[in-house]
Amino acid sequence: MSILRYFILLAILIIIGCSTKTPSDAGSALRLNISGEPPTLDWTLATDGTSFHVITNLMDGLTAFDKDMNPIPAIAKKWDISNSGKRYTFYLRDDVFWTDGAPVTAYDFEYSWKRLLEPSTAAEYAYFLYDINNAQEYNSGKIKDFSLVGIKAMDKHILVVDLKKPTPYFPSITTFMVTFPLRKDVVERHGSRWTEPENIITNGPFILDKWKHEYKIELKPNKRYYANKPLLDKVEMFMIGEISTALTLYETGGLDIVGIPPIAISHYKDSPEYRNMPMLRNNYYGFNVAKPPFNNAKVRRAFSMAIDRSEFPKILKGGEVPATSWIPKGMLAYNPDVGLKYNPDEAKRLLREAGYPDSKNFPKVIVAFNTNPDNQMVAENLQAQWKRNLNISVELDNQEWKVYLKRLKTDAPAIFRLGWGADFPDPDNFMNLFTTESGNNNTKWSNKRYDKLIELAAIEMDAEKRIKLYNEAQRILCEIDAPIMPIFISAQNVLVKPYVKDYKLNPMDILYLKDVRIEK
Amino acid sequence: MSKENQKLKFKNQNLRIRPLALLSVIVIALLILSAISAPLIAPFSYDAQDTANILKTPDSTHIMGTDKLGRDIFSRILYGSQISLSVGIIATLVAMIIGVLYGAISGYKGGAIDNYMMRIVDIIYALPDIMVIILITIIIGRGFLGIVLAISIVNWVGIARLMRGEVLKIKEQLFVESAKAVGAGHWRIILRHILPNTLGPLIVTMTFRIPAAILSESTLSFIGLGLAPPFSSWGVLANDGWAALRFYPHLLIFPAIIIFITVLSFNILGDELKEAMDPQLRKGIRIINGA
Amino acid sequence: MIKYLMKRIAFSIPVLFIIALISFILMYTVPGGPFDKEKKLPPEIKANIEAKYHLDKPIYKQFAIYIYNLVLGDMGPSYKYLGRSVKDILKDTFPVSLQLGLLAFIIPLFIGIPLGIIAAVYRNTFIDKISMFSAVLGITIPHFVLGALLILIFAHSLKIFPPALWEGWSNMILPAITLGIGPTAYIARLTRASILEVLHKDFVKTAFAKGLPYSKIILKHVLKNALTPIISVMGPILAGLVAGSFVVEYIFSIPGMGRYFITAVTDRDYPLIMATTMVYAVLIVIANIVVDVLYKVVDPRVRLE
Repeated sequence: MSILRYFILLAILIIIGCSTKTPSDAGSALRLNISGEPPTLDWTLATDGTSFHVITNLMDGLTAFDKDMNPIPAIAKKWDISNSGKRYTFYLRDDVFWTDGAPVTAYDFEYSWKRLLEPSTAAEYAYFLYDINNAQEYNSGKIKDFSLVGIKAMDKHILVVDLKKPTPYFPSITTFMVTFPLRKDVVERHGSRWTEPENIITNGPFILDKWKHEYKIELKPNKRYYANKPLLDKVEMFMIGEISTALTLYETGGLDIVGIPPIAISHYKDSPEYRNMPMLRNNYYGFNVAKPPFNNAKVRRAFSMAIDRSEFPKILKGGEVPATSWIPKGMLAYNPDVGLKYNPDEAKRLLREAGYPDSKNFPKVIVAFNTNPDNQMVAENLQAQWKRNLNISVELDNQEWKVYLKRLKTDAPAIFRLGWGADFPDPDNFMNLFTTESGNNNTKWSNKRYDKLIELAAIEMDAEKRIKLYNEAQRILCEIDAPIMPIFISAQNVLVKPYVKDYKLNPMDILYLKDVRIEK
Repeated sequence: MSKENQKLKFKNQNLRIRPLALLSVIVIALLILSAISAPLIAPFSYDAQDTANILKTPDSTHIMGTDKLGRDIFSRILYGSQISLSVGIIATLVAMIIGVLYGAISGYKGGAIDNYMMRIVDIIYALPDIMVIILITIIIGRGFLGIVLAISIVNWVGIARLMRGEVLKIKEQLFVESAKAVGAGHWRIILRHILPNTLGPLIVTMTFRIPAAILSESTLSFIGLGLAPPFSSWGVLANDGWAALRFYPHLLIFPAIIIFITVLSFNILGDELKEAMDPQLRKGIRIINGA
Repeated sequence: MIKYLMKRIAFSIPVLFIIALISFILMYTVPGGPFDKEKKLPPEIKANIEAKYHLDKPIYKQFAIYIYNLVLGDMGPSYKYLGRSVKDILKDTFPVSLQLGLLAFIIPLFIGIPLGIIAAVYRNTFIDKISMFSAVLGITIPHFVLGALLILIFAHSLKIFPPALWEGWSNMILPAITLGIGPTAYIARLTRASILEVLHKDFVKTAFAKGLPYSKIILKHVLKNALTPIISVMGPILAGLVAGSFVVEYIFSIPGMGRYFITAVTDRDYPLIMATTMVYAVLIVIANIVVDVLYKVVDPRVRLE
């Protein structure tokens, strides 16, 4: 008995004795949630948003985005375009230094891009540079001599890039992290551990100070940064997977910025701390046009027209933008007038013309998606709408992500869900998804006119002409042939404490922290 | 034979006297009954969406409120009981059948066979439950079959060990020896002599395993690995409600209460059965002044 | 004793080997590989990746490579967390789960067992009924509900403890309680049952008849004998607690090992899957050995073969 009493006493003392402070909110430290461990901070190998959030604050590249997502000079102070758009000559600043004092040179870029294309690196985003002469050939091992690839550092401050064809969006590509420069000596000396805080060398606004894996990353400002120094003393990026836990932390003073789960949005809508912005991420349901009855465009159009997309923001509550067209809002050539508007009567008429008056004898249809609560909600809503408006009962099916992907490649269901987020803010990145050649086109749809339009738009330098081309292409994609039905554009919803200033959301969901400051 | 009759009579006698046991049996019966008659008594279908009435707190039309798609929670709980109860009961039955047979054979045979069979059990025991469940649900799919199989496969080993222990205890007893002497076949001995005498502990075990299986299913659904929608088991409902606890507590409270009542009833029944079968009960020593 | 330990450890090796083999095979039967993503990879990139991670070799060769490296102490690289070795990942996360598990274990040990003893001794009184009812509650509430309630009450409303993360001692309390309540309830019930059973044994009745002091009887004779079934479950319980509860670590955002049991599988991170399985298996094996040794300590009559 007495032993027990002793331990109870001890436990009580421990509980009383310990401090109950949540993570420090002293000084000018910004605390936010990046939702998970970055799979890697090696920018040649990184492919996901979480890694990107960190890397984008540690490094600068040739170009960067302004607030309207246009590429502007960063480490490259200017560039010349010659050879009818096939040659870019980048002139680098001479006042950019790595955190150990060494200057950033064009050789660092050349080394980084070579590493990206090196077959043994096995970098998933190697295709990002495939516009460059012989890049794809080098990456696939067809040629072994890197000097044949169109990347050449002429001297410390000049980088010349030769492209396969005119590529107007190339300066957008050089904003992307896989094109950031690398220090050959650092990578070779530390091997796969070169990204650990004690080894990593960077050139951007912040330094990687601490990395407690699966838990948090701490950044501090880079005193050698060539542009305006960051105004924060410290950034703590926590990795909290459960979004409602993060919200509770925000409310108890443990975080300064947090994403809001859809279900809580209506509670914060009127709060001054609430911010919303649509993303360059579109969601769609594709049709496998090889599977009847969806080989008939009329049936596809009917299904698309029978859906009232305004229901999605109601149930997802995230400020999602209903979409009938494919290019997302905020991107060049976004056009909300393109696409099939909600019209159940017209939809029924189309079905009748296709041979299914009153949906009689309509075959069984499987609608598939990858397992996820939001996808689930949307799918169940689609199911209810098709039942209500067309009197057709579809069957829902879902699988775990990797299994789902395999299924799409081997035997895509009649109707399947996918999404696409911009790798860089140019419509080509979205539209070339559905060309005949594209490895990401699961619809089995092929349209020569569409392919031609995309090809022309990719090399067209004039913005007005590009918009015209993309309008016609989108009409084919979303109205006439309709191998896909876009449903909604995703949006970001965050809460930001009032003392956090100059924190701006952007449609590519890039986390820019260098201009942020805390004012208590 | 007479011994078994005695045991059953014993059990009935005690159940009648014990009010808690009676209460739990009634509650369980009610739950099963309402699950079966869900299509009759549910005011709405479990998938009827009403986007105009999203996330309503309980009122006269929706006595437990609505969820984020405007579906009636009370109806979903009723339909959900069909799934949760059947997953719990069937998964337990499957695990029991496999475990009992395996354990009986192992214990009865004894010797080297018993040794090998128990080593296999040890190995399966050393695999993490959650991993085995995920692997099975990935291979078979997250439907009813997948979840039931996954839970059964993870649970049968414990039952096998238990059964083997019981069989070992009984094996040495006189009536088994005499049956062997008379020349009865092995299966006959197992089925007619051993199994009936293990019935007591087995029933008690089953009564405790069912709520554990129900809890397993809800936890799996909570981490997103359980039954995939459109199934609306209690676990799925609890998962839906969890993240919204602070804003729309009714989404979690009602499924949580129903899970609680169900699991509690089974556990209390199990306790009561165990006390009833405890031969020491009637002549136990009173240590401190108790009942 | 030492000989016994050596023998047990030697026997465990083939068991662990078989577990590794079974896990390896199970892993590969699951469709989907570690590098299938939303954006389809051009074939040359895919080929590069598969060569780098030996995924293009036949299974038995991959297994041989794995075992060979394992014996040398190399648990392989993570396929999801590029550049990090599995050993590094476990080095960071296992101690956290260990800390949490041990802390949680204190509750069934120092509250569960005494509760069971009290309930047994005061059997059928109000104390017994209250204790056992609490115990039933303990095994009836799922982790996620209990965790949510504790956070709501103590973190959000009363603001005594932080709602999540792992910064200091105060962060450990709520998750430890959430983890520990279930086993506590189970141990309490088990203890009570076990003590009751022993109380009816002849030698105990003899001790009472002899007129020995009451507390001495309970503590010396009864407890020692009743402990056997309790010890046998403590092992696996501790192993389970230490391996990390995914749900609790997820709810409280604790950087422990528990999450990998799930995420490694869904990511098809083969080396990490193998590592978590082996860690768990080793914990169970150790727990079983410790338990058997404790039997001998508690009851010298038990013979260890």
